[in-house]
Amino acid sequence: MWENFLAGTTALFGDPVSIAIFIFGVVGGMLFGAIPGVSMLTLAAILLPFSAGLEPAQGVMLFAVIYCTGTYGGAITAILFNIPGAPENAPTAFDGYPMTKKGMAGKAVGAAVLCSAVGGTASALLMMAATEPLAHWAISNIGPPEIFALVFFGLAVASSVGGNTIWKGWMSVLLGLMIATIGQDPVGGINRYNFGLTDLAAGIAFVPAILGFFAVSEIFIQAEKKAFGKYNAPKLSVDFPTFTELWAHKIAVVRSIIVGFFCGILPGIGATLAAFMGYGEAVRWSKEKEKFGTGKLEGVISSETANNAATGAAMIPLLALGLPGGALTAIMVAVFQFHDMEPGPLVFYNSPELIWVVFAAMFYANVSILFIGLIETKTILQLLRIPFHYLAPMILMLASIGAYIGRGLVLDVVVMFGAGVLGFLLRRSGYSIAGIVLGIILGKIGEQNFAQGMQMVHYDLLTYISRPICFILIAAGTITLATSIYRALSPNQGVQKQR
Amino acid sequence: MGKLTKLHFIESAVWFSLVAVFYFYSFEFDREIEIYKFGATGWPRTVLAILILVMIGNLWHQARNGSAAQVGRVGVTDDEMENAEKSVGSLINIIAFLLLPLVYAWSLKPVGFYSATPFFIAAVIMLLGERRLQRVLGITLVIYSMLIGLFMMVLNAPLPQGTVSPFYDFSAFMLRTSNQLQNLF
Repeated sequence: MWENFLAGTTALFGDPVSIAIFIFGVVGGMLFGAIPGVSMLTLAAILLPFSAGLEPAQGVMLFAVIYCTGTYGGAITAILFNIPGAPENAPTAFDGYPMTKKGMAGKAVGAAVLCSAVGGTASALLMMAATEPLAHWAISNIGPPEIFALVFFGLAVASSVGGNTIWKGWMSVLLGLMIATIGQDPVGGINRYNFGLTDLAAGIAFVPAILGFFAVSEIFIQAEKKAFGKYNAPKLSVDFPTFTELWAHKIAVVRSIIVGFFCGILPGIGATLAAFMGYGEAVRWSKEKEKFGTGKLEGVISSETANNAATGAAMIPLLALGLPGGALTAIMVAVFQFHDMEPGPLVFYNSPELIWVVFAAMFYANVSILFIGLIETKTILQLLRIPFHYLAPMILMLASIGAYIGRGLVLDVVVMFGAGVLGFLLRRSGYSIAGIVLGIILGKIGEQNFAQGMQMVHYDLLTYISRPICFILIAAGTITLATSIYRALSPNQGVQKQR
Repeated sequence: MGKLTKLHFIESAVWFSLVAVFYFYSFEFDREIEIYKFGATGWPRTVLAILILVMIGNLWHQARNGSAAQVGRVGVTDDEMENAEKSVGSLINIIAFLLLPLVYAWSLKPVGFYSATPFFIAAVIMLLGERRLQRVLGITLVIYSMLIGLFMMVLNAPLPQGTVSPFYDFSAFMLRTSNQLQNLF
């Protein structure tokens, strides 16, 4: 492994063009991740046509680097403005934004930098060591029933932590699942709920949905506060967390690396579920559950470690099986296809140098998050100085362009602003917009894998559930759900305040 | 009735209407799929059925506890706005702010990005309380120039051009100018 890694490093840093592309990817991913309203996906979508002119290794490496640094970059907007740069940063906002409101933005961003770097680097090392054996394990043990079971578990965790009550948490997730049914059904390709609009046949894209539910609704909420004289500008602080503060959360970091890496391996699940599950597990094992969501450093640490730990793992199904684990890895498939290549087991034999350049680049990208991230943070924090009435139109415009660029549909801009209004009303009523977004993202994956799984077992539910991994995940999801319902039903238990 | 309020009934009515619309519309695509027993409606109708059960649970919780939040929930809505003084002017302001982006999105197809955007930016700044005209115009110009510079000239991103004259002509002029500037460098 180390020989290959050194060869990859030499190939990466021995070529000035590759170095330039690497630096562009690191800085571009961080910047686009950190600009409110746009994300690493916007950058990836814009750069995709240009990648045809690059060498295959350079093209794939560029997007892999953007994936690593962009996943971290999205945490900054989540912490500073309650606007996650990508779905995987949504749980970071749960505690990161309250920390900003308390004047602890520097601590939250500092923790995000360090934990993203640690999670990503650990994941890159695991990826290098275990891509081939893990891919073989995944081929023989992970099928549609297991993926559906993991989706169920993830949704159970998300619904248990978001929203004012378990009921509202589930209603949010189910609303997201309903929104995900808009468009063609994943088995027969029949149009559902397109209400006569041709553009809706392609379904609701998740980028406009996340921008609407998070970025636009947050602007509406702040605008409402401003209109009613309740707006308080976020407090600026550049104090990073101390070593003692971070060391106190070492178990949360290790747990999130394991959770994140496991979620990342599974095709179609990606870093989003990893972040939610990393956060959910932190809440589950904490002795101070009630402090989560109020500005607890562990919330930021667990979410950011888990989502970056998923980045390396997400490359395993892509490179070893040819299955993308999320939107950005799906773009990487297109890069392979530009060069008449197909990602999959043969890449390891036909183009080992490409694989090791990408692995080395991801390792160094995660390490550079630590150095560039800490330098960049002090500058990015200055964004908090811009008055809200100047920042808001800028965020709305960037979000509009980000929503439009993906598919070139004005409908996506309408969907984004519609989601913004809906998100504003739902947040005011105590629903979980993170739950809705997760429902939208996982809805189609869940349905598709449920259908395939049922076909595989000839509609025998017992055979379906009796698969070991499937059973464990469904049991874990059911226990999570049952515990939350038990708490909700217990007389006089679980009520914290009257609104 | 317990602690149920008028707002809780309105909230439940909205959810039930949503479920009803989605359920009845599902008959539009209620077709069999040869290779899949549950068809195209199986999944959405199951989600709707679970949603009904959860809605009943929500109503039951509200009857018992009102709008109280449970312990250990994350992202619980803050209630800063509950005590806010809500004047008619402020309410009109926030309704206008909610509608403005929808109008902008609707206008993108006929008017195009290049013509609609400066008016939208200026309107947002004004609705957020900036009344000094020079500031409004100045900031609008800065944001508009940054967007045009980044997305049109650096990244060559295709943005809506509009379909109605003279907006379409203005978009064409902007694109021509951008091309000429790019050729210069």
